Amino acid sequence: MLTVELCMGTSCHLMGVQDLVAVLETLPAEQREQIEIKGVTCFKNCGKGPNIRINGELISNATPDRLLEILQANLA
Amino acid sequence: MPEINEITKIRRKVLTEIAQMTFEGRLQTDVENILQSVVTDEGPRYRCCVHKERAVLQDRIKSALSQPMNSTIPEAAAAALDGNIAPAPIIQVLPVACDQCPLDRFIVTDACRNCLAHSCIASCPKKAISVVANRSFIDKSKCVECGLCKRSCPYGAILEISRPCERACELGAITADKARKAVIDYDQCVHCGACKIACPFGAISDRSMIVQVIQRIKAGRRVYALLAPAFIGQFGVQVRPGQVRASLLKVGFHDVLEVSVGADAVAVEEAREFIERTKTKGGLMTTSCCPAFVGMVEKHLPSMKENVSSLVSPMVAAAMNVKKNDPEGIVVFVGPCIAKKSEAERYPGIVDYVLTFEELATTIVGAGVNVTEMTASEFASAGSKDGNIFAKAGGVLQAVENVLAQLAPDVQVAAERCEGLGNCKKCLQEIEAGKRSANFFEGMACTGGCVGGPGVLTDSRVTAKLVENFANAAPEKSAVTNPNSEPLETLGLHRHHKTSGAADS
Repeated sequence: MLTVELCMGTSCHLMGVQDLVAVLETLPAEQREQIEIKGVTCFKNCGKGPNIRINGELISNATPDRLLEILQANLA
Repeated sequence: MPEINEITKIRRKVLTEIAQMTFEGRLQTDVENILQSVVTDEGPRYRCCVHKERAVLQDRIKSALSQPMNSTIPEAAAAALDGNIAPAPIIQVLPVACDQCPLDRFIVTDACRNCLAHSCIASCPKKAISVVANRSFIDKSKCVECGLCKRSCPYGAILEISRPCERACELGAITADKARKAVIDYDQCVHCGACKIACPFGAISDRSMIVQVIQRIKAGRRVYALLAPAFIGQFGVQVRPGQVRASLLKVGFHDVLEVSVGADAVAVEEAREFIERTKTKGGLMTTSCCPAFVGMVEKHLPSMKENVSSLVSPMVAAAMNVKKNDPEGIVVFVGPCIAKKSEAERYPGIVDYVLTFEELATTIVGAGVNVTEMTASEFASAGSKDGNIFAKAGGVLQAVENVLAQLAPDVQVAAERCEGLGNCKKCLQEIEAGKRSANFFEGMACTGGCVGGPGVLTDSRVTAKLVENFANAAPEKSAVTNPNSEPLETLGLHRHHKTSGAADS
């Protein structure tokens, strides 16, 4: 199980966190089932958004491509 | 709204930093730091070098401050902090940014057979074409992109590639000049913002008034935020309207009001005008709430100017209402629209400033406020269902039809509606030529209506639904009976396009 926390705060919203949400939503069902998705209001890392945390590791300036890369490396 | 690309991120970073520095009172001393913080030495690089990127960034900063391109950054910051707004067009091509866009409009493809006729060479008025490596070659330094070669080639071997900005402009208002820079023809442009969204280099920018607004707030003035009905869902799909209001009050706005109340007044008055017209001259009447649509009719279909309803927009109606109650108050319209910035200039002293949702969000972040962390107060829309649905394509028509059903159920409505300026223009021309019959027309410059505007933060496919839900949940169901709505006749706000030629330019 992979825990993906996404910052939904205003700063990360401006930097496109919704594009990362879209990546998660469009995963095939068998991969989607392996992920627990949580929304967070702030990682106190504004200005380097969008910020996400995957299994406890903070990732700044996250992009859809980078997220997909990490997911593919960690999902069965 | 496409994915948040790097251009969008850079623009938002610049605005956020400027807003933060202004709130913290250090814009004048620190403004040039933005050149280092947004374009870092480590990259990533989008242009040839860091120096070029910083030169482009200087233009972005000046545009964000609403200052002329020939000023220095410290001069621009000082002027913006003083509240000045340079008299420049709302939308501009950033000179340095566009210079690096040497797209060849005409390309000779493999289909060229180096034929004997050489119609391309014969057709070229600039002698820019010669034969190199058994194929026609266009010398870019001589080519003026007239397109005669393409038309002359019997094989169709010359390909035309248009610039994204040119393709985006449905009114043909942006073209390349002899130096291949994009140039906006302001006699044709209606400030819809399509070119800004289309340019992959972010070379087209609308000027922002965030610093001027923040300064008014800091000076302790009563600054009112007037939210366009499209604000639902803009700051995050989970964000509740009460959180938006709480955020803006924390930022320092004196009050937060909804433009949907003005839209109610417009819906009622537009229906009345329609009834009046059907009794007298008949013919077609169009909506007048979308400033880019109105601008398109005025500039591109002048013979149909009289068909546009004489009403002011919901923005102006709502602003008049504020000024009536508080003449000293400062009115800031916040919406998805760039053309509203241009419209507001026609109403000095009524609409003082216009911000896009994007600009407002950067202001909120610059103030250190996070909308998602605010506790939502109760928020019931003051506007009716009719007024709130204006934000969505088809909504104005729906509202006016609802009002007509109550005021004059016998009046026959044959309605058409269009989204996109090109579609609107074509449809109106067909109505004028008698190829279509309609007596009411809703015109929206943006696809999807206001929720699809250039200043939005959330995809219109999502927000269109959210706007509809919010409208359905409004306590007041009809514009006619909404007690919060001030009738326009008491505000005296019909436009008079017959006599106001100069003001409407």
